[in-house]
Amino acid sequence: MPVDTKRVRGPEESQSPLLFLPSIAKKSVAAERGRQDGRRRGQADVRPVFARCGLVSQAKGSAYIEAGNTKLICSVFGPREAERKDEAGASSGRLLCDLRFAPFSCPNRGAWIPSSEDKDTAQGLLEALRPGVRLHRYPRAQIEVNVLVLENDGSALAHAITCASMALADAGIEMYDVVLGCSLRLDGNSFLLDPTLQEETAGEPGAQGSVTVALLPSLNQVSGLQADGDMREDTLAEAVRACMEGCHKLYPVIQRALLRAVHKRASPSES
Amino acid sequence: YNFTYPFSSSISTANGSALVKIGNTTVICGIKGELTCPPSDAPNKGYIVPNVDLPPLCSSRFRPGPPSEQAQVASQFIADVIDSSNVIQKEDLCIEKGKLSWVLYCDIICLDYDGNLLDTCVVALLAALKNARLPEVTINKETDLAEVNTDKLHHLNVSKHPVSSSFSIFDNTIVIVDPTVEEETLSTAMMTVVTDEDDRLCMLHKPGGSALSGEKLQDCISRAVTRHREVSKLIEKVMDSFEPDK
Amino acid sequence: MAAVQVCEAEKVYIMHGVRDDLRVDGRGCEDYRHMEIETDVVSNTDGSARVKLGYTDVLVGIKAEIGKPKPAAPDEGYLEFFVDCSANATPEFEGRGGEELGSELSCTLYKVFNNVNSLELRALCIAPREHCWVLYVDVLLLQCDGNLFDAISIAIKAALFNTRIPKVTITEGEEGGAELELSDDPYDCVRLNVENVPCIVTLCKIGHRHVVDATLQEKACSVAGLLVSVTHKGTITCVRKVGGGSLEPESIFEMTETGKRVGKALHAPLMKLLRDEEAQGKQRQKVGFLG
Repeated sequence: MPVDTKRVRGPEESQSPLLFLPSIAKKSVAAERGRQDGRRRGQADVRPVFARCGLVSQAKGSAYIEAGNTKLICSVFGPREAERKDEAGASSGRLLCDLRFAPFSCPNRGAWIPSSEDKDTAQGLLEALRPGVRLHRYPRAQIEVNVLVLENDGSALAHAITCASMALADAGIEMYDVVLGCSLRLDGNSFLLDPTLQEETAGEPGAQGSVTVALLPSLNQVSGLQADGDMREDTLAEAVRACMEGCHKLYPVIQRALLRAVHKRASPSES
Repeated sequence: YNFTYPFSSSISTANGSALVKIGNTTVICGIKGELTCPPSDAPNKGYIVPNVDLPPLCSSRFRPGPPSEQAQVASQFIADVIDSSNVIQKEDLCIEKGKLSWVLYCDIICLDYDGNLLDTCVVALLAALKNARLPEVTINKETDLAEVNTDKLHHLNVSKHPVSSSFSIFDNTIVIVDPTVEEETLSTAMMTVVTDEDDRLCMLHKPGGSALSGEKLQDCISRAVTRHREVSKLIEKVMDSFEPDK
Repeated sequence: MAAVQVCEAEKVYIMHGVRDDLRVDGRGCEDYRHMEIETDVVSNTDGSARVKLGYTDVLVGIKAEIGKPKPAAPDEGYLEFFVDCSANATPEFEGRGGEELGSELSCTLYKVFNNVNSLELRALCIAPREHCWVLYVDVLLLQCDGNLFDAISIAIKAALFNTRIPKVTITEGEEGGAELELSDDPYDCVRLNVENVPCIVTLCKIGHRHVVDATLQEKACSVAGLLVSVTHKGTITCVRKVGGGSLEPESIFEMTETGKRVGKALHAPLMKLLRDEEAQGKQRQKVGFLG
């Protein structure tokens, strides 16, 4: 590994104390009928969401979202002049997405250097957001979306999508609709909506799968879909429907948060 | 003075964390402890590894990619503060001499950059260290392997409380405390003074800029001492309010 | 990705054609282009295959090396993917132009193969926690004319089928440590079971219908597509939405259904072809790159 001279370096190697835990027989999530946080399996039960807009004073638009223990912050800059000029991007703007997991966001400490997971999630975020933004209104410009995961307790991508679209709306970027994200974990024959990190990683291998859906709620269009794991076609369809239902549950909360931000912004100019 | 709000935030994946807001500037500090071999030149010590990150998220002036010069300077500054003020006795982080010790990764991320980064970072670091709890680790005599007991959590022994005060200097005439980003860019020089609770000077950081007379410097130091009292009182108050519910 | 200029009139022509289940090159909506597969094309790899799908042309080489198993899965080997977009394919890939696409492609391949059932990874283990086989899958794009994912996945499946890993025996060394011994006999080797390796079917939505195996022109007409990876049993292992547009939920269901059907139908002839080719053995006339 290349030595990072631009940061304060620690010892060459260190282990997480979690590795030294006396191994406890891991309780299988499947064994329980319900879920640890009291939600029911197979139901469109999403975690309570706390959402706020306009926290970062320096950004054009920003948003913070908290669902269970998953916490994300997102800021949007632009539109500003595109750095890369090629003919393909001349007629419409470019959307740039950067997503990072804070080093302390996961049970095991992550590195500062972006991993392939970061890039992969950023790519998924970009795919989901792009259909929602009216990019042709911003020719020769770029819009930057930066997401930082402060704490990852499952469904990071889904909430990143929601958070980023709120920040875009807060920045006054023209959009067709807000983009809402929801993810789901298939576990045997039932599904767990909006899974926690424990639910995402636990469970016996075989009948596992995860699905993330991004939805434009008022247009009823799916802007992003990622599914992994073994599944039949009908289970997939069912999973997508459940995710969409989860998105619709999120919609009023996000609308209210956006409205609040608009009111807050409007009131100083009135007085 | 702008008002300072330190919050102890609850990032459950970190051993300790704090979110601090001074004016608009927001900084989050997360501490994660890991186990490692102590350094060969000091077998009874542990490590504290602070890193300040200025992601493109916090201001449009930062680009994605490797840390900017400013972030590197800030990281080094925090590292120096830790070393010179002895916030934590590094000997406390040793578990077994020459074999096992803690390394505390203090990752400080700026969420909103509106000037006075260093002061905010120091407060965040201090609050996070005070809030941090590490599991008990013992070495099993028979297997020579570490055993971690997550049921027993210990607070860190924070021995000193350094607080930094930054000043923006305009041509040796006007000195502003707690500058915003605008004031920082307009000023001719910057200065940061770090003091601890015994009113001792831990560090003085004046990176270039216009010259400053001795009187003004003395004035700044005495102002830093007064400010220290206010800030540490505030931290204490917030920490206390969070303690009972834990 | 390599873009072609398609004017509005052409787009309308293609879209109307698709509506009537007739595409520019005479295919129906669910037909693949003419496909040519050749295995064992590069002699210094452990397995290789070249797939030509219309004008899309990819070469896959697999090298097996002994490595250390990942700590998370001590009794399994693993695969590494690398996609090289050579400037041969299109001038756009010159310099760093192809890197973005290359990393996107390899990222997707990791996701598709990150599945317990796709390949018997346990068979790649030599000694738990100590040694395992690492399969380096190198994909080279020689020419692209749309539908890269499908061509690459078919080529990988063929190359994996063709892969022969020498047998390894572990002998107890003099100092008690284990020593690895490779078999010298080129016929004494391990084959991989590729039965479950999924194939990717990319569906492009054009107008109100969707087509498989889109050419670049057709791709330019569609705003969004769906990538479905299907095993021979018809289970879906991976779904990704690709392209800048969004899709209606109903069309997603339709598209996965088509993807499953087409993908399932793709496996049987592919396996038959691979077996036939192997049965021909040495007598097979090598077509090589000039063919």
